[in-house]
Order: sequence, then C-alpha cells, then structure tokens
Amino acid sequence: MNEVRYFEDWRPGEVLRFGRRTVTAAEIKAFAAEFDPQPFHLDDEAAKTSIFGGLVASGWHTAALLMQMLAQVKAFVGANVAAAGFDDLEWPVPVRPGDTLTAEVEVLECRASKSRPDRGLVRFRQQLLNQRGETVLRFTSPVLFWRRGRAPQAAAAGGA
Amino acid sequence: MAKWYFEDFELGQRIALPPIRVSPEEIVAFAREYDPQPMHIDPEAAARGHFGGLIASGWHTAALMMRSLATWFREAEVQSLGSPGVKEMRWLTPLRPDVGYAGHFEVRELRRAASRPMGIVGQSTVFADPAGTEAFRVAGIGFFACRPEARA
Repeated sequence: MNEVRYFEDWRPGEVLRFGRRTVTAAEIKAFAAEFDPQPFHLDDEAAKTSIFGGLVASGWHTAALLMQMLAQVKAFVGANVAAAGFDDLEWPVPVRPGDTLTAEVEVLECRASKSRPDRGLVRFRQQLLNQRGETVLRFTSPVLFWRRGRAPQAAAAGGA
Repeated sequence: MAKWYFEDFELGQRIALPPIRVSPEEIVAFAREYDPQPMHIDPEAAARGHFGGLIASGWHTAALMMRSLATWFREAEVQSLGSPGVKEMRWLTPLRPDVGYAGHFEVRELRRAASRPMGIVGQSTVFADPAGTEAFRVAGIGFFACRPEARA
C-alpha cells in the first residue's frame, strides 16, 4: 500500500485495511468548537440529555479522521488527480471518546476516461470501524487517478 | 426570538446561510492535520500544480459548510437533532482562500418521524463564489425537534 498507484494498478474487489487512531474527548470538543458547535459535540452535560446520551464526535470530524488515515497511504494520494466528492455517506453509530478507529477501503469500480486519455476514475467504498467492528462512517467516493506514465511532473510529487 | 422547530420548515423554502470565507493559514492548518497533500499545504507547489494555487481540502469544505449551518442553527435557535448522513456532496470547483462564498439551504422534503417527536428534513445546500460559480453542492437530511405542543 505504500507505493504510488496509478489508475491501472487498482482492481475491483480488492480491500485495503489500514490506520488506527483513538479519539479523545478533548479533540472531539476542539473540532466541534471550530466547525460544529452543537451541544452534543461540545458539552458533556448537555450531551447526556441529548438523543445521543453522551458526547459524540461531529460526523465531519469522523470524516476528517478517515482522510487523515488515507493521507498516510501513498496508494491513495501518490497519483490522484482530484476527488469529485462522495455519495451515500452515513454515520450509523456515533464516535464516542475513547473509541479506536480503523479504516477499510474496497475498490468498487475502475473506469478509464473516454474524453481524457491521461486519467481514469476509481470508485471506492470507504469505511471507518470502531473497536467493536461497528461501522461509524461509510460512503462511496469517485476519485480520478493519473494513468501510468501520464502524470505531469507536479503530480508525481503528490497530486497537486 | 422564537425557537425554530420542524414545523417551521416549508417545502421549497430557501434559507440564506452565513457565508464561508477561509484564510490561507486556515486551509494549511486544517490540511496539515487531516489532509496533508501539496495543493492544500504548500502554496508554491500548489501554484505549479493543476489547480493553480492553494485550495481547501474537500473535507475542510464540508466542515466549513457545517460551521455555516451550525451558525444559522445557533442564531435562529434551530432545534437540530443531528443528521444520519448525506446523500451526495460534489466539489464542483476548488474552494480558494480569501473568497467569500454565499450559500443557501433549500427544503426538498418534509417527513414526520414515526417513532420520535421529530421531523426529517431533506435539503439541498449550495455555495457559490461572487461570480455565481458553484463551489460545492450537498444533498442530505437532518433531524429536527417538533414543537412541544405537537409532540403528543
């Protein structure tokens, strides 16, 4: 996984597992204070009486933690052109302080671009799991990768 | 000011959201932590790359949208109960530093939950730069508390 992968290097059906990260109450509150200051992400007491029954991470914090793990893996960020966004994102189970998260990514589909011969689209199913194996975040995402030998110089340095 | 409950949403309603504006320092700080790719953390490499300058991580963009929504929730006392997910987000054009992006939230679907005193709001949120070029588009759902007198 720690080698650059081009469009041709991805195979549908492959599953990659990586990353391990324990989430603290302090970082849940710090992220929430900046981006998502709702009581159940920020305030232990208010969170107890919320529908979550306790402090939970902002869903966008959870998503950023998956990106943090992906960014450590050259296969994902070595020869990517751009990500278009995501589809069907769900937070089935909340992330609570002390949870340890790991990432799992499955290759769903690889499609060469018809109009741009230098790139192709890889669609992934991405997930974060907690220490009980429960999915806390899942979505699919279309990511464009350079084809082998077609990446411009700047991209070979890491995507920009 | 009166609290904003599920019953205050109307189908087709368009609500202007607080604008998004981010500094280059904020883009770099977020990306150093969560998405340290050259186009997000290195202004010089970004200038040479195919985006032609520093751009925000897509996940930073999503978090900034949340900040805008949460600011509206607080200012209008919107009784948000969180969200189970997002149907789709598209990063249409890169989010660049020191540009003001204006956004709105459009109500697409309203449904009362069967099991809890809350409603489900389907929405579409769009932010665009001053020229009107859309930067991103999101379709999702949120949960909102019902009025106390409607909870029976």
